[in-house]
Amino acid sequence: MSSRSEQKQRARAEREAAEREAARSAGRRRRLYSLGAAVLAAAVMVAVAVAIGSSGSSKPKTSGASAKSDVTAVAQLLSGIPQSGNRLGMASAPVTIDYYGDLQCPVCRDFTLGALPELISTDVRAGTVKLRYRSLQTATADLATFRQQQVAALAAGRQRRLWHYVELFYRQQGTENSGYVTGPFLQRIAEQVPGLDLSAWTAARDNAALTAEVTADGAAAARAAAAATPTLIIAGPKGTRTAGDLSYAGIAADIAAVSS
Amino acid sequence: MLVLGCIGWGIAAYLTYVHYEGLHPLCLADGGCEQVQSSRYSKLAGVPVATIGLVGYTLILGSLALRGELGRLATLVLTLTGWGFSAYLTYRELFTIDAICQWCVASAVVMTALVVLAAVRYLRADP
Repeated sequence: MSSRSEQKQRARAEREAAEREAARSAGRRRRLYSLGAAVLAAAVMVAVAVAIGSSGSSKPKTSGASAKSDVTAVAQLLSGIPQSGNRLGMASAPVTIDYYGDLQCPVCRDFTLGALPELISTDVRAGTVKLRYRSLQTATADLATFRQQQVAALAAGRQRRLWHYVELFYRQQGTENSGYVTGPFLQRIAEQVPGLDLSAWTAARDNAALTAEVTADGAAAARAAAAATPTLIIAGPKGTRTAGDLSYAGIAADIAAVSS
Repeated sequence: MLVLGCIGWGIAAYLTYVHYEGLHPLCLADGGCEQVQSSRYSKLAGVPVATIGLVGYTLILGSLALRGELGRLATLVLTLTGWGFSAYLTYRELFTIDAICQWCVASAVVMTALVVLAAVRYLRADP
């Protein structure tokens, strides 16, 4: 009798242990499935983010309808505004804005297509502000390429057309460090600058003084503690300040603060 | 995990502040941080990645307050997503931008530790 009772108890204990083990096993399986689902969900979210991040990658468009439209827009923006070297605007303008940029920098492109047109068409055109484009290597990884592209812009400045060159470069910019900045690309930008003497531009690109100007701009940026691009150093009768807010409203507030 | 989450949140908050104030992040190597900050990968659909990181760390910290298996699973999904995104950005730094931002690397290390801990926490917890 006792033996039968013990057998029953043992059988019950074994059944309960088996049930517990089955429950644990089912729990482990469920968690592993959940883990797999979590990995999948995370992979999908990352893939979507990467797809969004890559969607803006572009090849430079130096020909076709969009290029023609760029040329027209730049001509309209800069029409009638005096240029000299890296300067845009009247030499007598009381406020000077040094725009430190890297021609491959996409954030500079955003700024050039964002707040800059309003600044040019309002303050620069009115003669209250002059802009100076200065070189600061950030986005371009290779120094030789950086110098080559920045010197190409400065060479256009020898014919008072640096700002046409810079504006067109930013508008037709490709993906940074993708190797798109080549001699032919720089030439195609130059060919779109209205009135640019291409042989004189080509000759100017070999001018060591322009490479020295790029180097000097980098040193000036370091002195001004400008390390990122775009950086705007705004100087006027009431002092100098670095623009923190690169919207037109922010820049206008800085201009007002340094103006008399 | 709470400490790591707070460290990650602090890094993301600092980079977000630096971005919106137009300041330069403190950087040990010459130019690396600026180069990354000036690259197209510093934003995703117009939103600075530092801000996305700040939101991500906030969500991770919030998920730690949730009880039960669902809370642990939420932490795991969030940290896995953050880790995947960190891995993608680190790849871009190394092979596209050709520059390293130490703050981004620090955040990637924190996120890696978080995802390991979140996985262990999820798999080892009592049912």
